[in-house]
Amino acid sequence: MKLPGPERSGALLPIAALFMAAAINAHHLAWWCLPMLALATAWHLRAVLRGFPQPGRLARISFAVIVTTGVLLSFRTLNGLAAGATLLVAMTAAKLFEARTTRDWHVICGATLFLLLAACLDRQELWRLPLYGLCLWLCAAALRSLAGGAPLPARTLLRESAAQLLRAVPLAIMCFLFFPRLPGAFWAIAGDEEAITGLSEEMSPGRIARLSESDEPALRARFDGAPPPPVQRYWRGPVLRDFDGFTWRRHRDPVGRTAALEYRGPAYHYSETLEPNTHRTVVALELSRPPDAPLVTQSADFQLLSQRPILQAQSYELTGYPQAVSRGELAADARQVDLALPPDRNPRATELAHQLRARAPDDAAFVNSVFDWLRRGGFVYTLVPQRLGRDSVDDLLFRTREGFCGHYASAFVDLMRAGGVPARVVTGYQGGEWNPIGRFLLVRQSHAHAWAEVWLPGRGWLRADPTAVVAPERLSRELLQFGDGFGSRASRLLGEQRWLTTTLQAWAALNAWWQDDIVGFNFTKQLNLAERLGFGDRGWQTLAIALGAGMCAWLLWIAWTLHRLARAARPDAITRAWRRIDRRLARAGHARAPHEGVLAYCDRLALTQPVAAATLRPLARRYAQLRYGPPLPAEELRGFLRAARAYR
Amino acid sequence: MSRLRDAVAAVEQVILGKPTQIRLCLACLLARGHLLLEDVPGVGKTTLAHTLARVLGLEWRRLQFTSDLLPADVVGVSIFDRVTQQFQFRPGPVFTQLLLADEINRASPKAQSALLEAMEERQVSIDGVTHPLPEPFFVVATQNPHEQLGAFGLPESQLDRFLMRVSLGYPDRESERALLLAGERHELLEATSAVLNPAELLAAQRAVRAIYVGAPLLDYVQALVARSRTLFQLGLSPRAAQGLVRAAQGWALLAEERALLPEHVQAVLPSVAAHRLEQRDGGGAGQGARLAAELLAAVPVPV
Repeated sequence: MKLPGPERSGALLPIAALFMAAAINAHHLAWWCLPMLALATAWHLRAVLRGFPQPGRLARISFAVIVTTGVLLSFRTLNGLAAGATLLVAMTAAKLFEARTTRDWHVICGATLFLLLAACLDRQELWRLPLYGLCLWLCAAALRSLAGGAPLPARTLLRESAAQLLRAVPLAIMCFLFFPRLPGAFWAIAGDEEAITGLSEEMSPGRIARLSESDEPALRARFDGAPPPPVQRYWRGPVLRDFDGFTWRRHRDPVGRTAALEYRGPAYHYSETLEPNTHRTVVALELSRPPDAPLVTQSADFQLLSQRPILQAQSYELTGYPQAVSRGELAADARQVDLALPPDRNPRATELAHQLRARAPDDAAFVNSVFDWLRRGGFVYTLVPQRLGRDSVDDLLFRTREGFCGHYASAFVDLMRAGGVPARVVTGYQGGEWNPIGRFLLVRQSHAHAWAEVWLPGRGWLRADPTAVVAPERLSRELLQFGDGFGSRASRLLGEQRWLTTTLQAWAALNAWWQDDIVGFNFTKQLNLAERLGFGDRGWQTLAIALGAGMCAWLLWIAWTLHRLARAARPDAITRAWRRIDRRLARAGHARAPHEGVLAYCDRLALTQPVAAATLRPLARRYAQLRYGPPLPAEELRGFLRAARAYR
Repeated sequence: MSRLRDAVAAVEQVILGKPTQIRLCLACLLARGHLLLEDVPGVGKTTLAHTLARVLGLEWRRLQFTSDLLPADVVGVSIFDRVTQQFQFRPGPVFTQLLLADEINRASPKAQSALLEAMEERQVSIDGVTHPLPEPFFVVATQNPHEQLGAFGLPESQLDRFLMRVSLGYPDRESERALLLAGERHELLEATSAVLNPAELLAAQRAVRAIYVGAPLLDYVQALVARSRTLFQLGLSPRAAQGLVRAAQGWALLAEERALLPEHVQAVLPSVAAHRLEQRDGGGAGQGARLAAELLAAVPVPV
């Protein structure tokens, strides 16, 4: 077999589609998977083109066993999207070793489509849409290349399959709009939690040598009215109450509800789209009423906890009350948790707290004196702090004197507890970028923040942000853009380039629309749409009627298209077209003799009318090919008919 | 494809000013047909036949037909070998890939029919033993139309076995001048080397059969044949129709087309039909071309 020429290039399409499908899954495949696929493809091509021998049965079986073991070693399971996709790519690569018949290639194309599906289930970002579309296109062209008949060039196959896919687009839209969706992401497959970045359930400031700045979105909030002012944009996430001197953790046992919240002050109603997280917390504006969602509850420390892991972007309707206050007394068990300190750790900090507490008349004064001490202590805010030792608070306060929000929140709560004031660390986000095009507030992972809460008798839980004291410029200066000072790269650029600002905002708005209205298009929204389109309001039946009506319309359209194509493709269309040209030429005084072939006629015409012959000849050639030659694709015929109509 | 172009060019080096005739001859041979060259002496029939044999890279022999030629001189003879006490077959000149039968109409009908049988069957039967002829096997025969004295004209049934009859005609003025200037053709002929090897020739012959013949073209050929049967007393035979398609396919291959066009049929029709029509219709020598043109003009091309 020789190298495929341009007319056989379609034979490479299945391999191209497979590569594309593997590439869009690259983020969750095992690292060895893609190189192995490339190797298998190289081997396959060599076998086909150069007659290199294919591996025998034993070699193929061992290969399959090895890759399965590889998947088990990489993922410790064969279940789940990532492990499944890796196994599928590996086995498809193995299939290349024995791909001979059309049936084998159909199997490979099927696997390719499954890989595309896996990628769609795993990631639904807008920027991936063109990649998925391209992959689907390649798959369709690949299947087309296997359909039998003469081998066609890749260009023809791609053109034809594009037309086919375009014809299917209305069907896809209809199914998207009206095919009933089961509420909840039933296809969400567990696993992959470690891949999600952002807040976690514990915090060890001393261990971090460098805080990464991630521009990944954490949540989006679309407010009914104006958004809250920048200083009030604290988004409450996991509350960390257990401290071992180095690491803060969530308190696992439920502690009795100690204080009732009184929602007062201005209310901000907003709908929030929360990106997946690992800590099962619905990060919400401080302090928000729990949403109507059935599986979200408010804990005693005012976290909104989801009973299910948040593996897909979720939407919530929430109302935030930045000035809400907690009332009543602190329960004894809760007080115990919020005063607990590890014994024999951070002795100097404990001593400092005792001194300051002794001087202060009450708890509130003590809080202020600690703030004062921090403010005057010459502390530096940095994203690349030195590492801290075992007594992390002592190290920070008396040795390194530098750190970011987590360091100061940790040290502050330690001092509070040592001074007898119940306190805890609250993690979450601070700030957010206002997008004027999409009219929403975008909170990124780089807006992550940690602050403290202290209990003052009679005033309840109050927010105390030591970072604001140590580095006031971090919070006060343009909170809108900098948040906790984790200024994102994008926002830094924003200050300089106006058009870039607009572009990025438009892109973010587009993404928000995609996430909310396309990816988040659920059963309720379906029903609303069907009702608005006048299909009644009877739930499932409504959707069935809408879908049925749409399908009928689509089928009619397809039938009409097919009819039109069939009529245009009738051979006598060619004859009719040429007769028209004949008549035109005869009127011009250059009649073709009945026994004269069209090309011979061109030759004769060229003797007297070289210009006319030159324009006619290409048309005559195409005519001769279509009329006397082997069957050509319908596109050729339509192209000729167009050219014949255009002939003057 | 390019090898074929080279072959045409090589023949044109030797035979000046006759591109159409050269292509017709090559098309005939590529279509596995036997070729009859008919013309007055001295226009280069034999040279053309030689050149074709050389360029196609075929093993060839020349057989001069005379009135006393016997069939055994053509096909060979079985001789009793005294040593082995058996008859042994001595193959005649016909056992070659290209047989140049010079002045075929000067031999007796008996000798002619021996050759024509070999042409049709591509084998020779002597004393009940069948000897197949080499593959490929072509006969290129020449004859003089005007030299009627002592000549036995080929009967129409035997003319039918030649796929084409090609007349060279006198050269035009420039070609004749070039011919006069260049001197001996034989030297040129000696210098001509094979362009195709046997494998390429076979591939070309396969390619001829692979030329696509659409339904409209078959309609056209059938219309031509049917018209010939009403236009003349005796029309073209089914074998002639078959040969017409095949010869046209050979022409299409030389024209580097993938499908047969009406123009290709028209190009080869005079050569394929003329020698079959003129004798039947009593038109006499030289009238075949006129009859063929009449036939072509009478049948419209399928549009």
